[in-house]
Amino acid sequence: MIKLSRISKSFGKNQVLKDITLSVEKGEVVVILGPSGSGKTTLLRCLNYLERPNDGTIAIGDYTVDCKHAGKKDIHQLRQKSAMVFQHYNLFKHKTALENVMEGLVIVQKLPKEEARKRSVEVLEKVGLGAKLDAYPSQLSGGQQQRVGIARALALNPEVILFDEPTSALDPELVGEVLDVIRKIANEGITMIVVTHEMSFAREVSNHVVFMDGGVIVEEGKPNELFGAPKEERTKQFLKRITSDWVYNI
Amino acid sequence: MGKKFDINYVLDFIPKLLSYLDITLFIVTASLVFGLLIGFLVALPRMYNVPVLKRVSQVYVSFFRGTPILIQLFLVYYGVPELFKLVNIDLSRTDVLVFVILSYSLHSGAFISEGIRAAVNGVERGQVEAAYSVGMNGFQAFTRIILPQALAISVPIFANLTIANLKDTSLAFTLGAMEMTGKSQTLGTATQHFIETYIALSLIYFVISTVLERAFHYVERRLLKHEKQLVQHGHRSRKRSLWGKPLVTRIEEGG
Ligand SMILES: Nc1ncnc2c1ncn2[C@@H]1O[C@H](COP(=O)(O)OP(=O)(O)OP(=O)(O)O)[C@@H](O)[C@H]1O
Ligand SMILES: [Mg+2]
Repeated sequence: MIKLSRISKSFGKNQVLKDITLSVEKGEVVVILGPSGSGKTTLLRCLNYLERPNDGTIAIGDYTVDCKHAGKKDIHQLRQKSAMVFQHYNLFKHKTALENVMEGLVIVQKLPKEEARKRSVEVLEKVGLGAKLDAYPSQLSGGQQQRVGIARALALNPEVILFDEPTSALDPELVGEVLDVIRKIANEGITMIVVTHEMSFAREVSNHVVFMDGGVIVEEGKPNELFGAPKEERTKQFLKRITSDWVYNI
Repeated sequence: MGKKFDINYVLDFIPKLLSYLDITLFIVTASLVFGLLIGFLVALPRMYNVPVLKRVSQVYVSFFRGTPILIQLFLVYYGVPELFKLVNIDLSRTDVLVFVILSYSLHSGAFISEGIRAAVNGVERGQVEAAYSVGMNGFQAFTRIILPQALAISVPIFANLTIANLKDTSLAFTLGAMEMTGKSQTLGTATQHFIETYIALSLIYFVISTVLERAFHYVERRLLKHEKQLVQHGHRSRKRSLWGKPLVTRIEEGG
């Protein structure tokens, strides 16, 4: 359903992604783990073509793009098929929650206004913001803003939703409400790829875990395999460090 | 110099000067309109990093920001006709107002292009990326997301420039342009009551500047309505999310 093959990306001389190959099935929830700088964000951004890969192919659904020769139309198609939830929400500041969600439906998908509004209200209600339709981002808490961000992605009905550390900019007491929403849409069978450092969440919600380091996929598998019995030394060390930090933090 | 101070002359001069207000306002408006046009054209190569044009616009901007408006007036008034002589076009009969407006337009254009750049840069890159990620193209992202916010940001810059221009037009009299300050000179000479003309003049400029300032302030508030915070959320949670350190759930990255 999503197939990345041999994706490479360099910034100048710095090769950040090296020959990444990854398949994601429909309805799968993929969690990407890895230390800082391992290329997780870059990988997600390549999928949404916010970053242009130097090489490789991306296939989402029935649409395949050869990154070397991607044209405007290819990029547009890819972006229509995926939606991104950003670490810092990136809401349109001059638009209300409802307008944020409607924008893509009206401007890009050319839905009639009434229909777009109806769908947007539905989605905002689903993320628990039915009472905040007319609030501007500056009037919402971080958790509420991120839920608008999720609604904005969800409303577009994409084939896959990409989450880049959706809770890492939030106050701890607001993390739960956002994770609840992500869990809820995961259970609806929507395909998603999530970069996160929330280990217990990753374990509970994912059915495919990918561990990246130094721009390559070191190991991937089912959550109980990768968390329970990691094969690679680097994975073991990462998990050990991150769980001991976690214990320490409590 | 002049005759004994007489307040009645001030009252007498105000309506006489006001009859030239339209010319002053015409200079201001025309130079802002052309300045906007120039400012946009000049800002583009710098925002989109066009190699040679970028340098040209940089030189233009720093020249018109770095030299006194009075010198620019003289340069345009005496220099432009010389340039046109080279191609056998005679500008000696052209109205002085044309040169005045040209000078102020070039001057405003330099400031406006800087304002546009600042305002566009003031809209976070992340919002543009979000626009792309919902499938907008560059034009849609610019007109729907960047422009409305950039306009709101640029209102105070534009307000300052308008008021500065209003006051700067008073220098046009040095070229013999008959606007308010030019008129005050002839009134002063005719009556020998110079102080009174200056008082009348400053009152007029002051009132107009104040009105303009209020008007811009109103527009700014309207355009920035999305920045108003609700009291119940307030600053606490925003500050906290900036400084607050994750305690429990979030696991810090290693390394
Ligand atoms: N726009 C850019 N220009 C140059 N280098 C970049 C750019 N974006 C990312 N990089 C580099 O690419 C590497 C991978 O960055 P990336 O943001 O993908 O890592 P990450 O795994 O998401 O890390 P983190 O967990 O800290 O978010 C880093 O070395 C980073 O410095
Ligand atoms: Mg990242």
